[in-house]
Amino acid sequence: MSHQTAHMQKPAFGHLIWWFLFGGGGVVSAILLPVHILVQGILGPLSVVPVADRHYDTWVRLVGNPIVKLYLLVLIALPFFHFAHRLRYLLVDLGVPAARSIPAQVVFYGGAIVVTAVTIWVLLTTVPISFG
Amino acid sequence: MPRGWWLRQRHYFLYMVREFTALPLALWLLWFLVEVQRASNGPKGYAPHGSPAFVVFSVICLGFALYHSVTFLRLFGVVTHIKGVPSRVIVVSLFALWLVASVVVAAVLIGFAR
Repeated sequence: MSHQTAHMQKPAFGHLIWWFLFGGGGVVSAILLPVHILVQGILGPLSVVPVADRHYDTWVRLVGNPIVKLYLLVLIALPFFHFAHRLRYLLVDLGVPAARSIPAQVVFYGGAIVVTAVTIWVLLTTVPISFG
Repeated sequence: MPRGWWLRQRHYFLYMVREFTALPLALWLLWFLVEVQRASNGPKGYAPHGSPAFVVFSVICLGFALYHSVTFLRLFGVVTHIKGVPSRVIVVSLFALWLVASVVVAAVLIGFAR
């Protein structure tokens, strides 16, 4: 029995990580995305309110802050683990059984990992870290 | 299962819309990442997104984003089990957290504009 439990724990731990990424990405996108889209995608471009990303100086001051960089990593990268899962199942539901296969899983979750790597690269290379 | 099964009932259709929200939201975030990257072009080269097409795209994405928020927070609150706490309280807390986070993010984005 205990041998069986030990055997069962390994995939369970992997599942836990993926569920944490899926759930975390879902919560992050649910709680943070609407306000970013509203302020930076609509109100800012229409000049309804002044927004930090409209001007280079104010935007760089924000993006250079290490806490903002960490925030942007979570905001941009984590939702992709949620999106990958959703889109893979959307294909399954649309009648594409191949979306269940291991190669499809590698493509979708690998895609989320690639987006995470690119986001880290962008955040580390665009604006130098500053505390100003 | 026939391919168009999800078109037969409103409930199934909304379920598919919920899954589909991931696509426009992913595109919006990627486009946002492009804007972050543009900061490396310097003061003269930096151009934030502001075309009418981008605003229209954002309006569409906001609709999907709100739909994702409402459905996901409701579902997440129901499936999250905390001993002794009714799921209704968890759902309400998540919606409160959403409101507070939105106010804070908007305040930072607008407050740091000067």
